[in-house]
Parts: sequence; C-alpha cells; structure tokens
Amino acid sequence: MERIDIKTQRAKIENINALPTLPGTFKRISQVIGKPGVTLDEIGRFIASDPALTTKVLKMVNSAVYGFPGRISSVSHAIMLLGLNVVKGLLLGVSVFEIMQKVMAGLWDHSLGCAAVARTIAEKKGVKDPEEVSVAGLLHDLGKVILLLHYQPQYEAALEQAADRRISIYEAEREVFGETHAAVGLWLAEKWHFPAGLVEVIGYHHRPNQSKRAPLETAIVHFADVLVRARGFGFAGDELAAVVHPGTFELLALTEADIREVLEKLENALDDAGDLIL
Amino acid sequence: MIGGAWRREVTGMPKFAKENLQPGMKLAKPVLGQNGMVLLPEGAELTEKLIERIQDMDIAAIFVEGPSAQAVPLEEALAALERRFATVQDRPHMGGLKRIVRKHLEGLYA
Repeated sequence: MERIDIKTQRAKIENINALPTLPGTFKRISQVIGKPGVTLDEIGRFIASDPALTTKVLKMVNSAVYGFPGRISSVSHAIMLLGLNVVKGLLLGVSVFEIMQKVMAGLWDHSLGCAAVARTIAEKKGVKDPEEVSVAGLLHDLGKVILLLHYQPQYEAALEQAADRRISIYEAEREVFGETHAAVGLWLAEKWHFPAGLVEVIGYHHRPNQSKRAPLETAIVHFADVLVRARGFGFAGDELAAVVHPGTFELLALTEADIREVLEKLENALDDAGDLIL
Repeated sequence: MIGGAWRREVTGMPKFAKENLQPGMKLAKPVLGQNGMVLLPEGAELTEKLIERIQDMDIAAIFVEGPSAQAVPLEEALAALERRFATVQDRPHMGGLKRIVRKHLEGLYA
C-alpha cells in the first residue's frame, strides 16, 4: 500500500483552491474567513449577500443542534448572539455539508451529533462559550473530507484497512499518511485564524491530554465523538466504538444520569438531522 | 461514495407527510419555516384550516405526538451495539458506557 507522509505536504493540503470538487461557496468562505483581521461586519455582509447561505445559517442556528429553536430571526441577530468564531465555523459547516455527504455518507450526521453533544456537555460544565465548543464538534472531522479529496485512493485504502482489520480509521490514517485528519483539521483551523484554543480542540480531539490551552473543551469534543459513535449514529470511517481517553472521564465528571440526559438531547438533534439537509 | 451501508434511523415520534395529517393531531415538535422561525408551536392542535395552510407550504413532514415508530428493530440496534463494542468493552469505562447506551436504546423502544 502506498504511503505518503502528509507532514511534508502541509502547504499542498492547505491549498483547498486546488480541489476542483470542493464547492465554490466553500472556497469563497475559506478566503473570506482566512483574511487576517476580518470583521464581523464583513462576514455579516458576505452572508447577507447570499440568500441561500443566509437561509442555511439561520436554519442551522435555529435547529436542535444549536438550541435556539425559532429564536434567531436574522443574520445580524445571529452574529451578535454567537460571535465571530461561531459564525465562521457555521459558515464552513453549512458550505461543506454537501461534499461531506458525497464523500462519506453519514459523516454529516456524525458531525451534527457531535455538535449537539458537545454543546450540551459544555453547558453542563459551565463553559463560557458553549457554542464555540459546538462548532468544534461540527468541524472536528473536516480533515477527513480534505484528505479524501486530495488523496482518494490512499484514503480508500485506509478505510478498507479499518474495516478488514477492525481498527479505527484514525489508526489506519496514521499508517497510510503518517498523520491523521486531526492534524489536517488543525492546519486548516490555523489557516482560518480560529483562536488557539479552538485550534487545539480540533487538533487534539483524539488525544485530549495534549491540549494545553483548552483541556476541558478538547475533552468535551473527544467525549462527544465517543458518545455519538457509541450510540451508533452516523458514520465517521469505521464501525467501532471509540475508546474514551483515560483522564477525560474524570475531568468531565459526568454521572450516568448526565450521560442519559445528553443522549436524550442527541435524539432530538438526530430528528433534526433529517431536516437539516441544507 | 463511502459508508453507503449506514442509514439514518428514524427514532422517537412519528413523522407524517403533510398529505396524511388529520384534524385533532397535536404537534410533537414546532413547525419551523424556511429560516427556522417558529410557525406553529409544539403542542398545537391541527385544525382543518391549519392543515390546509400546511399543504400550501414547503414543509416536508410534521412530527405528531403518538406512539413511536422505529425503523430499526430493537434486536438489531442492540446487536449493532454489541458489534461496535466487541473489541473495546474491556477498556476502562467502556463497559459502563455500553451499559448506559444500551439502557438508552431500550428506553427509546419502551
């Protein structure tokens, strides 16, 4: 099986404009939010100039995933309530959804589930900006899409290895690429000028102990990934329950009742996922 | 392309096509408009007039209160749970997690 060391290919991977199959909207969004010092105003104008994008963003924030059902009526309202990072993240999420469904059926549902669970747990733990953690939950597997588009034969080989040997897609990626989708997600999050904490959440969601700036938020998204897979909702590259990292359980200190409650809320998001075919 | 075997499970409350709505049915979830604004609240009772309005609108399906309809039988859901956890249930916390998810799944079908 061909192996590629993607650590040496970071520049190429970050150059998403070279991917013809990525939707034009996604590339435009990538450019807008990648601009250093872009303001909320500019982003607001960008969204408002595209009625389809406006609809998708509002549908998303008003869904059970984000927990503001029916309460956000305009883009400017959304921006004021949610802030720059969440809006950037939502923009990426809604524009990548179609290609996500095309390259890996079930990945969008998995991502939505993680967004919902991450938000629920973040609220429980009193995190200051639970919607930011939710956005990390939504985008944590974006690296898989980018890897699949850049290196389809190799990624398909990784998927086969995961299925045949019953290993996680994470392990299979590491074997084939020398690195994983988490690293790719980290590179892209840096390119898009997400704050350092959020970059770490995306980059270390499989190794939460490695996060220095945002250990709680990283543990939350890690556990969201574990829980959504345990529930069997969506598909993220393999059909195994993910093992929770030692220390995460203690750090989150969730009781059985807490976890049952999180799972109930996840079911609501699942219902909405069918409608969130944006 | 990939992962085509996975299908979205229908869980919880029944989802009705708007052609099958009947007066007296109560909404289990709010009906949202295109931009997510609440058009009809949860618990609203459907009258003939409301049903007519809904027919004219671009809403795919409505969630109605009533017994749950599951697309995947409980046995299948539990078997899939076993398969997922087969190689990992002896790792720390994983046995407990599996037990919690199992109770949750059983609760959905109760």
